[in-house]
Amino acid sequence: MPATIVRFILNGRPTEVMVRPMMTLQTVLREVLGYTATKAGCKQGGCGSCTVLVNGEPMVSCLLPVEDVADQEVTTLEGLTPVEGLHPLQQAFFENFATQCGYCTPGMIMVAKALLDHNPHPDRQTIIEALAGNYCRCTGYEPIIRAVEDAARRLNGGRP
Amino acid sequence: MTVQSYYLPRSLAEATALLAEHGPSLLVMAGGTVVMPLINEGVSTPEKVMGLRRAGLSYLRREDGALVIGATTPLTRLLEPDVFPLLREAARHTATWSIRNMGTVGGNLFVPPPAGDLAVALLALDAQVRIVRAGGERTVPLSGFWTGFMQTVLAADELVAEIRVPEPAGRVAFRKFGRKQANTPAIVTLAVHLRMVGDRVADARLALGAVGPHPLRARQAEAALVGRPLDADTVAAVSELAAAECEPFTDAIASDWYRRRMVKVQLARLLTAMATEV
Repeated sequence: MPATIVRFILNGRPTEVMVRPMMTLQTVLREVLGYTATKAGCKQGGCGSCTVLVNGEPMVSCLLPVEDVADQEVTTLEGLTPVEGLHPLQQAFFENFATQCGYCTPGMIMVAKALLDHNPHPDRQTIIEALAGNYCRCTGYEPIIRAVEDAARRLNGGRP
Repeated sequence: MTVQSYYLPRSLAEATALLAEHGPSLLVMAGGTVVMPLINEGVSTPEKVMGLRRAGLSYLRREDGALVIGATTPLTRLLEPDVFPLLREAARHTATWSIRNMGTVGGNLFVPPPAGDLAVALLALDAQVRIVRAGGERTVPLSGFWTGFMQTVLAADELVAEIRVPEPAGRVAFRKFGRKQANTPAIVTLAVHLRMVGDRVADARLALGAVGPHPLRARQAEAALVGRPLDADTVAAVSELAAAECEPFTDAIASDWYRRRMVKVQLARLLTAMATEV
């Protein structure tokens, strides 16, 4: 079986992997590179737990052959997390009890990150629509929505 | 068996050449939102796959009023302000943000029902499908594109390259009725284009999704609308006809009985709302 070499930018760092044809970005991240913040949920594009950003836009890494992101910029939750402390979204999720089992959290935060990059002042409905592809079976969603609202306030210097 | 070869052609010409070379053994994929779940699940075990993400088919432009959409344009781009409002509305109700960033306009023509909401709006707008093969091309109306469940007029060496959507010339409306507000398979999806002359319907296109093997035009209902005002009697009669002529199925989302019933109810509501438009 022929292997190919794929190069892309992962969290700002040039990265090179040797893969069999059509290995998914999810598998590359988790099993080749050990970046396990990106979760492996349904592998059907239905749950959102494997969401990463490709050139700043949310995509589900389980449906993405890694060859398709050659030369593109991929951001995972590891790329958001500062060396010391937490990203404001992580801090807001933590303080608002927006995690329970935590499995959906990386995907939720990556979508929220893309949302706040596009729209620093999203209203509640916009947040709900943005997160509609990310399933959480623990929290009932309310704490997650509050966390995103809270993170928006923090990132906007305290203003809603 | 796992995939042995994954081709990423850099142009349409390269893509059609690969298709001519490999024929039906080459599985064509655009955004991957249909094909990848099947591969991940082991339902589909292709040896050779061609991905179209780099084939230069992602573009959106206006040409003499018509909207010309490259086949692999992500659904997200249809939310842009210069896109016809009916298509924006349909795109907003198709899948979720991540999936819209991956799923493509051309790919939506190949999505099995009850998915494929955008295709219903394209059908109501009488979209034309540009089909290309190595050394030739043809254009077919979307209304003649599907031949059955997951069956189209495409030959083994042909690709959908572009979709051309004429500018709407009348009243339009879209409604997706599902079990949730967002990220839901449809019970029924409806898209309507009506050209009025005075208070009477001169031309009608009623497109229905999730109630047949592919998006359907309700031809009998359309014929019954032409020449009539959009009054309560007409709306009731037309909705009844559409419900009778659609071909609903039962799945985990809804029964065929309920889908047929909802065609009648939702179409009546949509047409009633359209009647009060000026």
